[in-house]
Amino acid sequence: MVVVELSNIAKAFGQTIATKDVSFQVRQGELFFLLGPSGCGKTTVLRVVAGFYRPDEGKVFFDGQEMNSVPTHKRNVGMVFQNYALWPHMTVYDNIVYGLKVRHASADERVRKAKEVLRVVRMEELTMRYPNQLSGGQQQRVALARALVIEPNVLLLDEPLSNLDAKLRLEMRGEIKRIQRESGITSIYVTHDQEEALSMADRMAIMNLGTIEQIGTPMELYNEPKNKFVAGFVGETNLVTGVIEGETSIAGYRSVRLSPRCRMQVIRGEGLTEGQNVVCSIRPEMVQIHDRTPSDGTNAYEAHISALEYYGTVEHYSLNVEEGFRMKATRYSPRLHDRKPGDTVYLSFRPEDVRVFPA
Amino acid sequence: MLRRRIDKGSFVIFLLIMAFLSLFLFYPILYVFVNSFFIGGRLTFYYFTLMFQDPLYRESIVNSLTIGLAATALTSLISIPLAFLMVRYDFPLKRLMQGFLLVPLVMPPFVGAIGMVQLFARYGAVNILLMNLKLISRPIDWFGGGFWGVVVLEALHLYPFLYLNVAAALSNIDPTLEEQAESLGSSGFRLFRTVTFPLMLPGYFAGAIINFIWAFTDLGTPLIFNYRNVVPVLIFSMVRDIWANPMGYAFTVMTLLFAVMSILLTRRYVGTKKYEMMSRGHFAPRVVRVRGWKRIPIYLSLAALIFAALIPQISVVLISFAEQWFFSPLPQSWTTRFYQTVATHPLTVGSIRNSLFYSVFSTAIDITLGLVIAYLLARRDFPGKDILDSSAMIPLALPGIVLAFGYVATFSGTFLDPFIDPTILLIVSYSVRRLPYSVRAAYAGLQQTSVSLEEASLSVGASPLRTMIGITLPLILANVIAGGIMSFSAGMMEVSDSLVLAMGDQFFPITKTIYELDLRLGDGPYVASALGIIGTVIVAVCILVANKLLGRSMGELFRA
Repeated sequence: MVVVELSNIAKAFGQTIATKDVSFQVRQGELFFLLGPSGCGKTTVLRVVAGFYRPDEGKVFFDGQEMNSVPTHKRNVGMVFQNYALWPHMTVYDNIVYGLKVRHASADERVRKAKEVLRVVRMEELTMRYPNQLSGGQQQRVALARALVIEPNVLLLDEPLSNLDAKLRLEMRGEIKRIQRESGITSIYVTHDQEEALSMADRMAIMNLGTIEQIGTPMELYNEPKNKFVAGFVGETNLVTGVIEGETSIAGYRSVRLSPRCRMQVIRGEGLTEGQNVVCSIRPEMVQIHDRTPSDGTNAYEAHISALEYYGTVEHYSLNVEEGFRMKATRYSPRLHDRKPGDTVYLSFRPEDVRVFPA
Repeated sequence: MLRRRIDKGSFVIFLLIMAFLSLFLFYPILYVFVNSFFIGGRLTFYYFTLMFQDPLYRESIVNSLTIGLAATALTSLISIPLAFLMVRYDFPLKRLMQGFLLVPLVMPPFVGAIGMVQLFARYGAVNILLMNLKLISRPIDWFGGGFWGVVVLEALHLYPFLYLNVAAALSNIDPTLEEQAESLGSSGFRLFRTVTFPLMLPGYFAGAIINFIWAFTDLGTPLIFNYRNVVPVLIFSMVRDIWANPMGYAFTVMTLLFAVMSILLTRRYVGTKKYEMMSRGHFAPRVVRVRGWKRIPIYLSLAALIFAALIPQISVVLISFAEQWFFSPLPQSWTTRFYQTVATHPLTVGSIRNSLFYSVFSTAIDITLGLVIAYLLARRDFPGKDILDSSAMIPLALPGIVLAFGYVATFSGTFLDPFIDPTILLIVSYSVRRLPYSVRAAYAGLQQTSVSLEEASLSVGASPLRTMIGITLPLILANVIAGGIMSFSAGMMEVSDSLVLAMGDQFFPITKTIYELDLRLGDGPYVASALGIIGTVIVAVCILVANKLLGRSMGELFRA
């Protein structure tokens, strides 16, 4: 169990800059996520930690010790690959004890540790099978076991669930989380699936174009995104552009002009100046829908329903306020109603639920 | 992966390999090249002009080129329809047919030539038969003075290589490309001409050019047909007075230039037409199951081809078991006595032992070098990688006769002097000639093996060396063995290097012994045939095993 620290990591491949100025610290026993769209450099960062790439700039520390010049096989990192990378010429058991043999573990120790790790990943059966005789989920468990059995300093997971079908993916999310918690190994997990990250991470870093946009707990990132990329990438949101107006607003709110006809009240933020172009983010589930004009007229707009998707537990509205001002709204446990596309409704949201970012 | 860190190690190995190739590949070629222009310390083009002024020389060049072109044309006429038939159609006994079609791979054409001479010579079996039947009154000259004999035999020997090549190209065509054309209304021969054929053309050319070079530079076949006015035979006869007559240098350089130029032209053409990269993923090739009477023409044409291809081999088998076969359509009586001779005579026993010895060592060199080179090319990054890649592939374009002549010229008078003991040079020449195949076989294996399998091993703590031995090597072992077997079987039946380099009869390998025996009167040809059959059986077993290990990718070994 170590603390992993990266400081100002930069890595380029020829002319392509994969990452620049990436710094973060992973705490002891933490499950840390690197989340970002494909090509954002998250796998490069992971491979720098593993030692497959040597960074052009910056340093990697395990427990304060610089690892840059330590080759992969001396770093004691367990890695789970996207394609599992199980050795097809070895049985499940041989795959797992390979790392122990390399470490000159005694035969007794090998048997004991393999048994233990197989119990943890719930693969006590099938140890004499070959990888091609296993299902995707089973291969996944073996790959995990192989990485865990060496009791690594750090566990690195590179999109481990992307090759599984939807149902198995949900199941394995819980499993990996449980195994990580039980083993208490500091872990870094790379994914582009924000649900996976939100539901599993202790903390996470959002990456875009080779840099880190924001680091925090899932709840912090969802509720307090620092910029519009994070707001847009983590969860669904409505992004509306506007211009900050003067101190003309009610109840201490700040007013944002969206169009000649529309304005929006937001809470006073620091660094908002008159005339500034901004982007406002409102989560769909924060948008209320009414049949009549709401009594509190703050941030209430008349709108047409352009589409309505009903899922039982939840229902999604696409709403048109005016040209260039559309909103999505999500309502949970919808009651019986007879709204349909084309109907006129009223939508509203609280100024407290609006996040404002510089455009 | 792990790039910069291992750079130094890779670079050192790269330099060692280049040192080996420089000594045994570049230097001999360069030596011949330089000595063809600088004679007695003066720059002269005299021997090159002589090459085109002397009528005998001029005729030989024209003959060789014509043989190369005609054999390639004939081979193509056989191979393209054959590949199309075998890849796109399915019918009972297809696998068996496929096996028979590959039989000519196993016998060097010059052994088959012994059989052909027996059958089709002036007073050979066929003419005798026809005259006995009173169908002809005077013998027919089937070989056209030897020219057509050589062409037909080259084609019958080379078509399996080209066929495997074209078949590989054909099954790499994404079927959706043809389906798209069909959906737009194209079909039948039009579809083949406008879509299928252009798509397989690069693969075809890559194979055809190797075909051309082999036919153009083959030494053994014209020798057996006693068709001496061709370039390889001229070079062969000039080895003996290599110090007195610089003409051999000029011819060797000319042969090399032809080979290199044709490869470069093909590369240029094929390079502009790389289609294979465009489609991704796996696909099943389109196979049509043939039913009912439509099978008849397929079986008839395949049977005809197989029969034609097997005539030389069958004839050699007959000779080897014939007590006497002279002025008669078939041998009058049978015997196994010549096999006993092969098994007891010091010359033949020695030659089998020599061939095994040379081939085992050259194969060991090939496996080691092939594996290391392929690993460096597929998994490492270091300065000079491109140079290593092209250097390892140069022997593809290098006719055996050129390398052999180069060795004699370069190493005579040194401690490697082939006039004294050619053992090392024979081993090295066998291995250099087949190096591209073992590199390719290992490289294909590495390409099919995900790098993450090796990274996984590093991540659990295995050192790079341990990873290579414990993970990489077992995963590509089938390919490495197959490449090795190819090297071995090629070594067992290597012709040009053996004929040129093995001077003293205690060093003769199988092929040179066959050649020398065939020249002897009396039981010479019979013993030669028996020895040829034994060599062929060894090669056949090797090829069967290699084919099993390599599968479909075997066809891709024999291309430029």
